[in-house]
Amino acid sequence: MSTRDLVLTALFTAIIVALGLVPPVSVSLVPVPIHAQSLGVMLAGLILGAKRGTAAVLLFLLLAAIGLPVLAGGRGGLGVFVAPPAGYLVGFAFAAFVAGFLSERFVNARQSGFAQISGFFLAAVVGGILVDHLMGVLWLAYGPTGLGLTKATIGTLAFVPGDILKAGIAALAARAVLAGYPLLPHRA
Amino acid sequence: MKTLYVDGNTALHRLSPRVKLAGLMLASILLFLTRSPLALGTALALAIYLYAMLPLGFKVSLHRLRPVLWTIAVVALFSFLVQSAEEATVALLRLSVLMLLAASVTATTTVSAFIEVATEAARPLERMGLVNAADIGLAIGLVIRFVPDITGHYQSVRDAHLARGIKLRPLTVVVPLIILTLKSADEVAGAIDARGIRNQKA
Repeated sequence: MSTRDLVLTALFTAIIVALGLVPPVSVSLVPVPIHAQSLGVMLAGLILGAKRGTAAVLLFLLLAAIGLPVLAGGRGGLGVFVAPPAGYLVGFAFAAFVAGFLSERFVNARQSGFAQISGFFLAAVVGGILVDHLMGVLWLAYGPTGLGLTKATIGTLAFVPGDILKAGIAALAARAVLAGYPLLPHRA
Repeated sequence: MKTLYVDGNTALHRLSPRVKLAGLMLASILLFLTRSPLALGTALALAIYLYAMLPLGFKVSLHRLRPVLWTIAVVALFSFLVQSAEEATVALLRLSVLMLLAASVTATTTVSAFIEVATEAARPLERMGLVNAADIGLAIGLVIRFVPDITGHYQSVRDAHLARGIKLRPLTVVVPLIILTLKSADEVAGAIDARGIRNQKA
């Protein structure tokens, strides 16, 4: 990793932390407040690409593990890694990797804006929603909570609509950042 | 940023961070080997005793544990409704013990001790050429240094919205925040290299 990559990674981790500190913003259409921290995780993959995006999320999880109150609501410490939603938290790293991996392949600077937004949206849905929820469900089903696969899946479905909205916001934001300050590595 | 560490001189404070983390891992495995409410209840009593020994005070302890206790309670209730009382009890006991033990390790280990363990743990990865172990400490320092700057950026983006009578929307906040922050990367990287902090050849 070059020094610039290291700094970009650390700065993005700081953005994810800061997004957990700001009050949640509500969107006028849906009465669900947007929890900005998981939005930051999706954006890490979409904006920095697979390698730096995953590194930024791993650094974020490391900060939480060593007892810095970096999670939304000032939580942190090793306890959050054994709590019921821990699968979603660890899943963040895989989510950023998959979202970054896909957007490196789907999106490039020469495409139209619509194609870029669609590519980012697909990457955010597969990485940020599918992969993260899969990890979350596996931990709920087979971790200390022991809910079983069917019940855990039913539980997770309640959060999917809100997350799809988040993926949409992430796609629009990633495309705007790509236009203003491109960082995503391109791959055929 | 205020860490979750508390000053003190208990036996847990004096124990090496490696031993504490290994003990936590061992405990998490042991808890899965039993389903007996008696054994799990004893473990919970021990964990509560351990956590109560820390110089935290009742109010701070409760404040720290409340969010996690809340999620555990919700999951236990869900488990009670869709499964059985026995399943719910086992899950509730296991999760509470693990959470208390983890919180005890967190409260008795300093951030620098953790950074040291993380750097040590990354040595094998370094030999595989994946990461530079010393970068971990540097990166953690950078994050702690830049979080206040970014909340500052957030304030100015918010003020710009208010001054123009625009409603705060996720998109119009996040985009300028990210571009403002990432644009300083070259400057910071230049400063790090100019001081030869990473001793890189290339």
